[in-house]
Amino acid sequence: MSATLGIAIERLSKSFGAVQALADIEIQVKAGEFLALIGPSGCGKTTLLKCVAGLLPADAGRIVIGSRPVSGPGGREASLVFQDFALLPWATARENAEFGLLLRGAPAAERTEAARRALAKVGLAGSFEQAYPAQLSGGMQQRVGLARALAVNPQVLLMDEPFASIDEQTRRILQDDLLRLWSEERKTVVLVTHSMEEAIYLSDRVVVLSPRPGRVHRVLDVPLPRPRETLDVRASGEFARLVDELWQILKKMQ
Amino acid sequence: MTPLVAPEPAFGRAGFAAIAGLLVVWEILGRLELTMFVPSASSVAVAWWGLLTDGTLLRSAGSSFGSLLKGFVPAALLGVALGLAMGRFRTLREVLDGWINALMSAPLSALVPVLIALFGVRDTVVAATVFLFSFFVIVVNTMTGVRGTERSLVEMARSFGAGEAALFARIYLPAALPAILLGLRLGAVQAVKGMVVGEMLISLVGMGERLIYYGNTFLIPELYAVIVSVLLIALLSSTLVQSAERALVKWK
Amino acid sequence: MKRLLARGAPLAAFLALWQWAAWVPISFNFPTPWQTVVALAELLGSGALLQASATSLQSLVLGFGAAILIGVPLGLLMGVVRGVGRVARVYLDLLIALPTAALIPLVILSFGINVVSSAVIIFVFSAPFITMNAYGGVRDTRPRLVEMARAFGASWGKLFTRIVLPSALPMILAGLRLGLSRAFLGLIVAELLLSPFGLGKLIMNSRSMFEHDKMFATVAWTLVLAGIALAVLARLEARLLRWRAA
Repeated sequence: MSATLGIAIERLSKSFGAVQALADIEIQVKAGEFLALIGPSGCGKTTLLKCVAGLLPADAGRIVIGSRPVSGPGGREASLVFQDFALLPWATARENAEFGLLLRGAPAAERTEAARRALAKVGLAGSFEQAYPAQLSGGMQQRVGLARALAVNPQVLLMDEPFASIDEQTRRILQDDLLRLWSEERKTVVLVTHSMEEAIYLSDRVVVLSPRPGRVHRVLDVPLPRPRETLDVRASGEFARLVDELWQILKKMQ
Repeated sequence: MTPLVAPEPAFGRAGFAAIAGLLVVWEILGRLELTMFVPSASSVAVAWWGLLTDGTLLRSAGSSFGSLLKGFVPAALLGVALGLAMGRFRTLREVLDGWINALMSAPLSALVPVLIALFGVRDTVVAATVFLFSFFVIVVNTMTGVRGTERSLVEMARSFGAGEAALFARIYLPAALPAILLGLRLGAVQAVKGMVVGEMLISLVGMGERLIYYGNTFLIPELYAVIVSVLLIALLSSTLVQSAERALVKWK
Repeated sequence: MKRLLARGAPLAAFLALWQWAAWVPISFNFPTPWQTVVALAELLGSGALLQASATSLQSLVLGFGAAILIGVPLGLLMGVVRGVGRVARVYLDLLIALPTAALIPLVILSFGINVVSSAVIIFVFSAPFITMNAYGGVRDTRPRLVEMARAFGASWGKLFTRIVLPSALPMILAGLRLGLSRAFLGLIVAELLLSPFGLGKLIMNSRSMFEHDKMFATVAWTLVLAGIALAVLARLEARLLRWRAA
């Protein structure tokens, strides 16, 4: 396994026709850091994530993951986790978890092995392997989505509002599981979210984007102690203060 | 696309009750002898058995099935291929979409005399009619299926480095499969309709020729027997495709 | 403009193919596109085509009109009264799967060779589809909207006219379009088989006299006529459903 990689986003701009979505974005994500991107709808946070994944070409500026500039999709350094899970409805949980490896041409035995391990990491070992997505709850579906991203063993996880369409109780459990996984695997994570609590609870730093065009408005450090999943951080006054600080920033921007 | 309520003969309990009721009412109406044009269900059954045992029905059905296959198989292959291409390539879609939609709802029966002028009075005309009747609905459904593919699935596959061929085989084709199979099912029903129209108009072979013949000779129970047989062929074709659907689409 | 050009390309390709087929010629007495246009002008000039169209449209209006007047209410009833819907649905499914043309000899025997026969055939072709779509429209009414209206204390009549009917309208109109396309199909099959009147007669007469140019012209005219009627209905539909555009 190779060392964890950082991400450098340098003077990135992106337009769709006449609409400028992102302007002069400058963000350095440290290796092993958990970074959250937040902002009002239309601020281009998902666009930015897609640029990092190579799904959208940048108009100007560049993105470097580790030492390799992003030039298109399919880079081995990063994998994506989607808001709507993006599971193949015709494939079982295990086949879904194998899918990234399949596209990269890994032999069957290796795929199965890696998928099993990844599913076990996200708590879906055993009989769930053979279930179709339609037979799984939303939370379990996103676990499969996470397993698929982990199965290719990326250094960077790019998460696009991964828990937005999951109910509150399940979301909290998934957030804790994600934190545990992150502390074990030491991957760099970029998380797009619209939830202030989620951004503060999970990340080391929160980047606030302003809308139309999206620019980096503020960067907020989150000095909460870790491991947060065992320390009951949500109940702390510091947590409440940070969420409120974030809220004040976002409120003034409207 | 014209929204269609998919024909799904609902052979649940209500289905059996409805059909049993129909047969009973039909039998009573026939027995009352109100008009010679409504023979009793039992006399139709007798006529049907007669046509079956003297080989008439099998001979006609054999010819009909031949034309059906000769028309439907090319329509299915070309229809799915064109639908996939139109779903994937925007330029092709913009060029052809309007025409395909117009032809899907056009009274293509008007073309049968042209087909006769082209091929002569032969069963090729029937196969060509079958093709024309079933082709467009297959194209449109396939295209709709490809277009309905979730964007995030495509992005997901691309993010793992999928190229155009892998996208087609691993994402677009399986995503469109239910719509393709629905198109084939609707196309199969349409194909039988085209078969009957073609055969009736050339009045030379198949079930359609029998319809014209029994109509002209006032053999009413036999006429009914052929109508019922034609309906059974349509239902059979649709059911065959449906069982393929069940076998192939297990994830829903 | 570029779009128009792109849309016109298949037509140009088709005409070129046709021209080539006539030039070979692909079969006996195969007319060129131009010969067909000339024949069309002649037929229009002599009034034969318009007269035949008027006769055909007469049976179309009768048959299609009856299909709407009976099909839509029946479909609504099926949707509202569940028991009726469950039973009638079975017959409708059979009628929709049935190759309707098979009924034509029976209809001719029962009603004779006349405009009524032709109208009945058109009715049988189109009514099942119109009924099925009206039924589907009612059945697909969002339960949430019904709950909302009932929470506001809507009466049964209000519920039907304010919620169910507008909800079903798109499907009903789509059914009318489908029904009209089926009506034209039935009209042509009927007239080609009956042949003593209308466009079908013109086609069959030209065929038997080997005036293929006139036959092609009438076929093309028929397709264009149906295309225009369907386009008008689609336009009407779009206007009635403006709220859906957004």
